Amino acid sequence: MVGMLKIGKILLYAAAVVLALLPVVPVALLFLLAFSEHPVFIEGFTLKNFEFLKTGVLFPEHPVYSKLYPNVYTVMVNTFLLALGNMLLVVLVASMAAYVISRYSFKGRSALLGAFLVIHGVPASVLLIALYYMLRTMGLLNTLAGVILVKMSVDLPLGVWVLKGFYDGIPWDTEIAALVDGTSRFGAFFRVMLPLVSPGLFAVGLFSFLSGWGEYVFVYTFIQSSTNWTFSLLIQSLFGEMGGINLALVAALSIVYLIPVLVIFLVGEKYLVRVTIGGVKG
Amino acid sequence: MSREASKKILMLAMLLPAVAVIILFLAVPAALTLLISLTELDYRFQWIWCGLENYARLFSSPVLQLIVKATAIYVAGTLAFNTLMGLAIALISTHVHDALGMFVRAVWLLPRVLPSVIWALLMMWIFSPLEHGFLNSLIVRAGGSPVPWTFLYYWPFLFIVNGFIGSSLSGIIFSSAIKSIPQDYIIAAKLDGASGFTIVRRIILPMIKWHIAFFVAYNTLSLLASFEYIMLTLNGGPGFYSTEVMILHAYHLAFGQYMVAMDFGYAATIVTILLVVGLALSVIYWRVFRLRRLMIEPKLE
Repeated sequence: MVGMLKIGKILLYAAAVVLALLPVVPVALLFLLAFSEHPVFIEGFTLKNFEFLKTGVLFPEHPVYSKLYPNVYTVMVNTFLLALGNMLLVVLVASMAAYVISRYSFKGRSALLGAFLVIHGVPASVLLIALYYMLRTMGLLNTLAGVILVKMSVDLPLGVWVLKGFYDGIPWDTEIAALVDGTSRFGAFFRVMLPLVSPGLFAVGLFSFLSGWGEYVFVYTFIQSSTNWTFSLLIQSLFGEMGGINLALVAALSIVYLIPVLVIFLVGEKYLVRVTIGGVKG
Repeated sequence: MSREASKKILMLAMLLPAVAVIILFLAVPAALTLLISLTELDYRFQWIWCGLENYARLFSSPVLQLIVKATAIYVAGTLAFNTLMGLAIALISTHVHDALGMFVRAVWLLPRVLPSVIWALLMMWIFSPLEHGFLNSLIVRAGGSPVPWTFLYYWPFLFIVNGFIGSSLSGIIFSSAIKSIPQDYIIAAKLDGASGFTIVRRIILPMIKWHIAFFVAYNTLSLLASFEYIMLTLNGGPGFYSTEVMILHAYHLAFGQYMVAMDFGYAATIVTILLVVGLALSVIYWRVFRLRRLMIEPKLE
């Protein structure tokens, strides 16, 4: 009996280790490939796949190829602008709306919250056709600003829900004390409440930064000219055309794309879990 | 200005941006999709009303059967993968040492936070049918012949690609549900001599059944309209529409490069149907899971 229990325990731990390895192995393989000497197989160790970092030009020795792709640093700036714009807008708009929803009862409050919940359950992909038409009418097609606006409105409902939870967790006494001291309502919000929900702002901020940084469908659909590309478009395009020829280069580029994601993941994993519980991706 | 009025103005000012964004970029597009489905809108961007012609065209299209079948297989298969893998993650990670359990759940978040393009690329490379695909390179090195993974096993491939994203959510939901089960029940069962398997089947699973039901409901809704990872990997292939789910077909009709692209009116028909199904499901879930509880009015003002 005791022996059986022990075997059971060993099997359980073995299963846990295998389970932990499953998602890590593909990422580890990507690193090995990026430093590989062979263009398509994992072999040896070299830094030559990262040479594009010097000037940002891909395939400098093939003028025909290199003209097809934008400078890596342009792409990096675009990706960063999309992520940053999405993060700032979501945090700004959601932090105000969530405060009002958490603190005040007003007509249409539950309808609004319900709308946030329902919208967030239905993926935004269903709206692409109409959004394309609208952006075209507004002259925002093929601009990063258009993509940022669409992206932030899709991430907003989740941000409001998560932040509402954080505001709900702060006792009323804190705010009433500030109001009694003569602070205005806005002052109470800005100087008392916002600092208290900073973990929530941090969580929503990290999430929306990552969400903008990794976005593919909106950029692919709304952006045509390669000077407005983000990393996701560059890598997808390179993988389609060079996947069988120079996979190691695509892997090296992916590593550059991945580094901020991994840093944010390591720093903010426990914050991201709070947001994931209401996550959108299938 | 009275206190009450200034409070109202402040509330409105703080709420307005969010409401404006939701209306302009989510409510208006939803209504617009329905309207577009009643037109012949195409690359010329002219509104030509055509009534229900697009719907008639869709229902008589020989492709309809294929895309509905693909959607059903995709949703059912991915859902099964997500639920079972989520249960495995939750059961295993709550029964090992806490630190290891937390590590397992954290690591499973990784595919979810990776940019979709990178996850798709990794899966395409690992399961590539060519000789330089990672699995095939191992097989060839061992003396075997390469296996055309994505040609033979395209559905299991897509279940894996999508399932690694979805299982982190189910894993987290189920784990916290399991952790909230009072330990007394499990200790009592152990004293009665119940085996680990019996405890899982008779105590844990019945006690988290509502969490499982909620995940299945929620995930069905998001899978019905998700196509990003299919588009990034097999893109409807291999062969004729074998993995072309409804929403991907709509995307191809509207934005695809080599098919009859920019057929916005017709594409919107499929999307409208999905929207209606999605809204109907949302309303049902709303009732079943009593989500109104989440909307309790604030106690004090």
